[in-house]
Amino acid sequence: MNECKAWEELRDGVIEENLCTYCGACTGMCPYLVPYKGRIIIRDQCSLDNGRCRAFCPRVGVDLTHVHNSMFGSSYESGDIGVVKDVFISRAADPKILSAGQYGGVVTALGVTALEEGMVDSVVATDSQDKCAPFGAITSRRADLFGCAGSSYVAAATVDAFNRAVREEHRHNLAVVCTPCQSLALANMTSSDLAEKNNMGKLKLVIGLFCTWALSYESFGLFLMEKVDPHDVVKVDIPPPPAETFDVYTRTAGRLSLPLSDVRPFIREACTYCIDMTAEFTDVSVGAAEGIDGWNTVIVRSERGLELIDKAVKRGHIKIETLPEKNLNHLKDASRMKKKRALKNICRKTGSRNDLLYLRNCPTAMQILLEEE
Amino acid sequence: MGIDMDKPGSTQLLMGNEAIARGALEAGIGVAAAYPGTPSSEVIGTLAEVARKYGLYVEWSINEKVALEVAAAASLSGVRAITAMKQNGLNVAFDFLANVALTGTNKGLVLMVGDDPGGLSSTNEQDSRHIARILDLPLLEPATFQEAKDMTKWAFQLSEEISNVCILRSVTRISHGRGKVILGDLPSMEKWAYFDTSKSYAGIAGLATRYHKSIHENQGSIADLYGSTPFNSYSGPERPDLLVVTCGSGWLYATEAVKTLSLEQRVGVLKIGTTWPLPTQFLQQHLAGIDRILVVEEVDPFLETNLKEFVVDRMAGHSYRFFGKASGHIPPYGEINVDSAIDALNNIMSIGYRPREEAYEQKCREAAQHVPPRGLQFCAGCPHRATYWAIKDALRMAGGNGVVAGDIGCYTMGIQATGFSQVKTVHAMGSGMGLASGLGKLEQFHFEQPVLAMCGDSTFFHAAIPALLNAVHNEADVVLVIVDNGGTAMTGFQPHPGVDRDAGGEIRPEINIEKLCESLGIAVTVVDPYDIEATRNAFLEVLENRGKARVVMSRRECALIRAGKRLDPIARVRVDGSKCYGDNCGCNRYCTRIFRCPGLIWDRETLTAKIDEAVCSGCGVCVSICPQSAIVGETA
Repeated sequence: MNECKAWEELRDGVIEENLCTYCGACTGMCPYLVPYKGRIIIRDQCSLDNGRCRAFCPRVGVDLTHVHNSMFGSSYESGDIGVVKDVFISRAADPKILSAGQYGGVVTALGVTALEEGMVDSVVATDSQDKCAPFGAITSRRADLFGCAGSSYVAAATVDAFNRAVREEHRHNLAVVCTPCQSLALANMTSSDLAEKNNMGKLKLVIGLFCTWALSYESFGLFLMEKVDPHDVVKVDIPPPPAETFDVYTRTAGRLSLPLSDVRPFIREACTYCIDMTAEFTDVSVGAAEGIDGWNTVIVRSERGLELIDKAVKRGHIKIETLPEKNLNHLKDASRMKKKRALKNICRKTGSRNDLLYLRNCPTAMQILLEEE
Repeated sequence: MGIDMDKPGSTQLLMGNEAIARGALEAGIGVAAAYPGTPSSEVIGTLAEVARKYGLYVEWSINEKVALEVAAAASLSGVRAITAMKQNGLNVAFDFLANVALTGTNKGLVLMVGDDPGGLSSTNEQDSRHIARILDLPLLEPATFQEAKDMTKWAFQLSEEISNVCILRSVTRISHGRGKVILGDLPSMEKWAYFDTSKSYAGIAGLATRYHKSIHENQGSIADLYGSTPFNSYSGPERPDLLVVTCGSGWLYATEAVKTLSLEQRVGVLKIGTTWPLPTQFLQQHLAGIDRILVVEEVDPFLETNLKEFVVDRMAGHSYRFFGKASGHIPPYGEINVDSAIDALNNIMSIGYRPREEAYEQKCREAAQHVPPRGLQFCAGCPHRATYWAIKDALRMAGGNGVVAGDIGCYTMGIQATGFSQVKTVHAMGSGMGLASGLGKLEQFHFEQPVLAMCGDSTFFHAAIPALLNAVHNEADVVLVIVDNGGTAMTGFQPHPGVDRDAGGEIRPEINIEKLCESLGIAVTVVDPYDIEATRNAFLEVLENRGKARVVMSRRECALIRAGKRLDPIARVRVDGSKCYGDNCGCNRYCTRIFRCPGLIWDRETLTAKIDEAVCSGCGVCVSICPQSAIVGETA
């Protein structure tokens, strides 16, 4: 017999190959797999040949065409920043939200809007108050959302929290604030045959975060601990180029500016194979507005996203301005750059342009990117 | 029925170990001391029950060496004493035994050793008899329950005649079987202990050879003392075609085999009760005129090898063909039985005996295929299962492929699925901690694996303390997990120094393990394994805090002690079948397939888990295991 259990495929094909993004899609549903300190732990051995863990994992192999079709009704194109219904810059109107947020506080403001408008009853986000150990948090109150404001740059298994939340009977409509890999996982889950088994119908809103890479929990944590007391850290930030620094803001010692090159070694290998910077599989994606301090870039991708923005503006939670053409082009270039770099890294890992690892199911779209090289 | 019945001549049904205890009582012992070990535990356990009535001092000692020393102290002071131990225990006591054998004893000192052929309850199936030969000590092997009593009594006399320890070797089937025993008189003498300081029992450098010489020369006189003892006997024709020489339970098997094969007219059975030194005259008398010998005995070819030596030395001019373990006629390992003896006789005598028809054998083989394989298991509600669960989770989460060194006790079963196969080494008492201490010092050779040692509360006192001190002093990076369930559970809940009672139920000061550890500067984390999550988190924290020896005290009373006290279960546990995910994704029978408490069963009809109410002890641990909250624990 040569049958491979679902968990064995995840272990051999994803975890041990360093393809795991620690998104948490395979966890929170059963006792067998648990996220812990940046690693998916195979706690016990499940005997099932297939299950949600493998079906949901975007790194076992994802059919982007199928996922994109289910979500947007159109096929996936290699493009740059994905489906765009609207794009602009924005910032939170509430000074409290603004000060808690990483840049313009728009993500928190949108979460608050979704809750206040009753679009969702719960928001799953990443609690990154401990900058070395962020974790997925389930919130249903405005105040709790504030605890999730700000970035940490360390990978968190936020989808694990979603998978737990979605099983709770009192939660009916959920929003998730997530990184591109997590949003791809959620989209993959929603379009999966096993979606119903996981109550994916409860997922009403996905708010994405722009992302270039995430750091590995353990090695970065150890590195940072040598420099500062992690509990003293209030904010971490990577200022826009050409700063090339990783800034750590502490409660007691102010700002500590580390060369970005010191931090790069702690980037998860899995992130170097990621082709998504702007969280393309979401209702709305938010990131820094480069060169416009205190503002976010917002890409609206779905009707649901438009409705959320509309409500947030009407409630006075956010302000909107036009994104200058120059900035949009720069964003597109950067995004496309990430895709090409990722494919190059994949080909280097496999030693072949024909083996694209988790992207092997979408050869046409990837071929276009490869040919540009 | 008790061993203390004062009815000489009456017949009682006694367990072999009870018969040995009765023999000691009839011999007028004053002191009995032991560390429990299957199959020897009931000897001292039984004496403890009658200690007050007969003015005995009975103790469960900290280990077998101390037990023998305590018993020897009585002997040196003029009071008869007995100690009992299993074969592994004799190794622990061996160091003292090898020296007291040289210096000698005063009043009768009997060492009963219960061997465990087949290792039914042991880590090995060592044959203890070799030790009698190594040390030139008399060795007796009872073959019946009556002999178990009578030989014990006689052993005290022998011990006094030669001023040395007499070894009584039993095996599981003699110790734990039951049979008729005719009781003898119980002496009612008052005992006075006094150490005669005009004598010396000091084994020091320079005297060893003199001692050795005298004990060696004593061998002949021991053999003479055996004289015409009824424990050595012959039954069979005057000139048998084959002589079966046997001892202990082997005699039972050989006798039954001869009868079964109707060989009474052709085969004689020579029963040896005094297996070391060999009874010279008795053997010379019965080996003359014989040419074929089959030796039937448990475990090693001890009697067989010594007989071969004997015939070379003492039976010049005779030639013998030997059958037994060396020839492959009797299995040289594992427990033997009547079939072993029948097979041997069948083979040697070419009888062509078939115990069963081939068709029947075939049916047996087919039926056996339908018997589900069952490993050893922790009882329902056993706190060890919960501790191992937490260790398993913590080690997987911490990563680094942690090593768990096991030890002797119920928790040894951590090597199997019931303990989630966490334990990787099991050797002697306290060896887990010793191995861990060594593993924890391999850092300079790039060893990075976390190291855990397991030991029970009783094992901690027995032999783990020196190894722990070693680890503390040498700063070994280890975690000692003490699974404290409130007694020596595996052998029958004998008390130990951590318990506030002694063997006779008297109140004694208990030694607090945490305080002992803390006095060594060890950080001790106390957890309740029934709180699985807190226990796992405690392990995670302790595992992270590397560099020194740490202790986790996982404390929960054995579920059997709790049941014995007839306490209410902690929770009334039931399964809400409507919530149970069963075999589906999200559970895959987590409770019955992975957690595997025997109180949980898989209902093939409803395809859900359910509680076996007859087995469930109500610990409530499975409630926190269930991913669906389908297992409900209502506070009783």
